Amino acid sequence: MTRFLLRKLPSVALVIVVSSIIAFLLPRLAPGDPAAALAGADATPEQVAAIREQSGLDDPLIAQYINWITGIFRGDFGNSYIFQRPVAELVLDRLESTLELAALATVIMIVVGLTLGILSGSPRAKVSRGVLDVLNTLLLATPPFLTGLLLILVFGVTWRLLPVSGEVGLLENPEIGIQYLLLPAFALALPQAAVVARLVQTSMQNVRGEDFVDLAFAKGASPRRITYRHVLRNSLGTAVVAIGLRIGELLGGAIVIEAIFARNGLGQLAVQAVQDRDYFIIQILILGAVILAVLIQIITEIALAALDPRIRLEA
Amino acid sequence: MTTTAPPSRRPRRSGVSPSLRRYGAALKSPRGLVGIIVILVLALLSVSAPLLFPDGYDVQSSESLLAPSFTHLFGTDELGRDIFVRSLYGLRTDFSIIVVAVPVSMILGTILGLIGALSRVAGTIVQRVLDIILGFPGLVLGICIVLVVGPGWVSLVIAITISGLPAFGRLARAALMSQMQREYVTAAETLGVSRLTVLGRHILPNAIDPILVQGAVFVVQAIFIEAALSIVGLGIQPPQPSLGALLNVGTRFINQAPTYILGPTVLLLLLALAFSLLADALNETVNRK
Repeated sequence: MTRFLLRKLPSVALVIVVSSIIAFLLPRLAPGDPAAALAGADATPEQVAAIREQSGLDDPLIAQYINWITGIFRGDFGNSYIFQRPVAELVLDRLESTLELAALATVIMIVVGLTLGILSGSPRAKVSRGVLDVLNTLLLATPPFLTGLLLILVFGVTWRLLPVSGEVGLLENPEIGIQYLLLPAFALALPQAAVVARLVQTSMQNVRGEDFVDLAFAKGASPRRITYRHVLRNSLGTAVVAIGLRIGELLGGAIVIEAIFARNGLGQLAVQAVQDRDYFIIQILILGAVILAVLIQIITEIALAALDPRIRLEA
Repeated sequence: MTTTAPPSRRPRRSGVSPSLRRYGAALKSPRGLVGIIVILVLALLSVSAPLLFPDGYDVQSSESLLAPSFTHLFGTDELGRDIFVRSLYGLRTDFSIIVVAVPVSMILGTILGLIGALSRVAGTIVQRVLDIILGFPGLVLGICIVLVVGPGWVSLVIAITISGLPAFGRLARAALMSQMQREYVTAAETLGVSRLTVLGRHILPNAIDPILVQGAVFVVQAIFIEAALSIVGLGIQPPQPSLGALLNVGTRFINQAPTYILGPTVLLLLLALAFSLLADALNETVNRK
C-alpha cells in the first residue's frame, strides 16, 4: 500500500497544484473589486486605492499567488475582507456544523442505501421489492433540496415533531443538537441512498447469474448464506465505489441543505463569500474541496482492494 | 350557380413532417397527455400573469405573512405581497430560463458531440472537457459560474446550459460512432458527398430521437438547478421572483409562516412532474418505432 501511495503522489500533487491555481484565478476573473466593496458605497477613489494597496491587491498576480501558497504552509490562510478576521478562524468556526451534517448524512446514506439495496436485490419477498422499487424511483428523481422542503412541510407544518430551522451544536448540547440535525441529514442522505441502493440492487442481480452462485446452490447452501456470503460479498465492490462517488454529491448538496434548514456551516460561508467576492475564503474552500475529493478517491480504491483480493493497488 | 371547382383539398396534415407526427403520438398516451396539459396550463398562467395581475409582483401591503386563504391563495409574504401572484411571476422567470437554456444546451451539446466527425483530435479533447464538467457535483459548477459572472438570470442560463452539455454531447457522439461504421456512410463518402452533408443528412436524424428525450429530461434538471441556486441565494435576486427565490425567502420565515413555502413547492413539483411525464411518454414513443 505504501508503494501504491507513493506512485499516486505525483498525480495527486499535480491535481492539487492545478486546482490551487484555478481556485486562485476563478474569483479574480470576475468583474468587481473587493476593495471597493470593503471601502463602502461612498468611499473616494483614493480610499479604495489605499485599501487595495494595504491588502496586497495591487501586487502582481504571481506575487499574490505565491504569498497565498506560502501562507498556507505556515497555517496562515489570509484574511477575510468582509469579516476582517483570519480565514482559518472563520472556517474552523463553521467546520463543526458541516462535519456533523456530512458525517450523519454519510452514515444514513450507507445504512439506508445498503439496506434498501440488499432487500431489493434479494430474490424473495416480491411485495416488499415492489414497494422498494417505487420508493427507490421516487427518491432517485428528487434532488436533496426537494426532500428537504417536503420534510420541512411534513414536520414543520403538519406534524411538529422535530425542529425544521436553525441549529444547536452537538458538542454543546447533544440531546437538542441531534434533533436539529436529523431532518437536514435525512434530506441530504435519502436521494444519495437511493442511488446507492439502485447500484447495489443491479449488481446483486448480476452476480446472482454467475456460475459460482449456481454451484453454491447445488452444494445445498441456504438461500441466506447464498445471499450474504456469495452474492453480497461480490457486490460490495460496486457499493464501495458508489458510496465514494456519492459522498462528493452529498457535500455539494450540503450547501443547499444548509440554506434551507438555516444552518451556519461551510456551505453558507461559501455562498456568502461568493456574494461578497471574499477571495481568500473562496480559494481555501475550493482547494479544500478538491483535496477532500482526492482523499475520498484514494480511500475508495484502497477499500476496493481490501474487499476484493483480485484487485491489486496499482497507480 | 357556383361553377368554380372547389379548391382541391390537400390531404390533411400534409404540412406536418412524419417525424413530428411521430412525436405527437407521445401525447396520446395518458402520461404524455397529462404532462402536456399541466405544462400548457402552467405556461398559460405564467404568460398571462401580467394580464391577470397587471400591478406586478411587488404590490406591498400591511398584511404580512398570512396563511393561505381565498383572497390570497398561497398566503402573503413578509412584505404583505401575495405569494400566488409572486409564484406566477416566478413561474414566468423559470420558463424564461428554460426556454433559452435548454435549446441552447441541446444544440451546443449536439454540435460538440459531432465535432469528432470533422477532427478526431478535437473530438477527443471535447470529450475530455465534457467529462470534467460531468465530474462537478451538482451545485458546485453553478456556484463557480456565479463566481465569475455574478448572480442573476444570465449566470443561471449559463450554468444550466453548461451542465447539460455532457449528456447531449455523449448522445450525439454515440449516434455518430454507430453511424460512421455503416456502409451507406462509406458509400456516400465514396460518392464524394462532403462530411458536413453526411452529418446533416444521415447522422443527425439518427441522433435526434435520444437527444429530444434527453431534452425533456433536462428541463426537469434545469428547473432543479434554478431552484437550488436561487434557494442558496446565488440565483434570481430580490425583488424579482422565481420559484427558487421564493423558497429562499420562505425557508427564512419557516417558523413564523410555515405555509409560505407550500405554494412554490407545489408549483415546482407540478412543473418537474409534468416534464418527467412528458419525457417518459416521449421516450416510450421513440423506442417503440
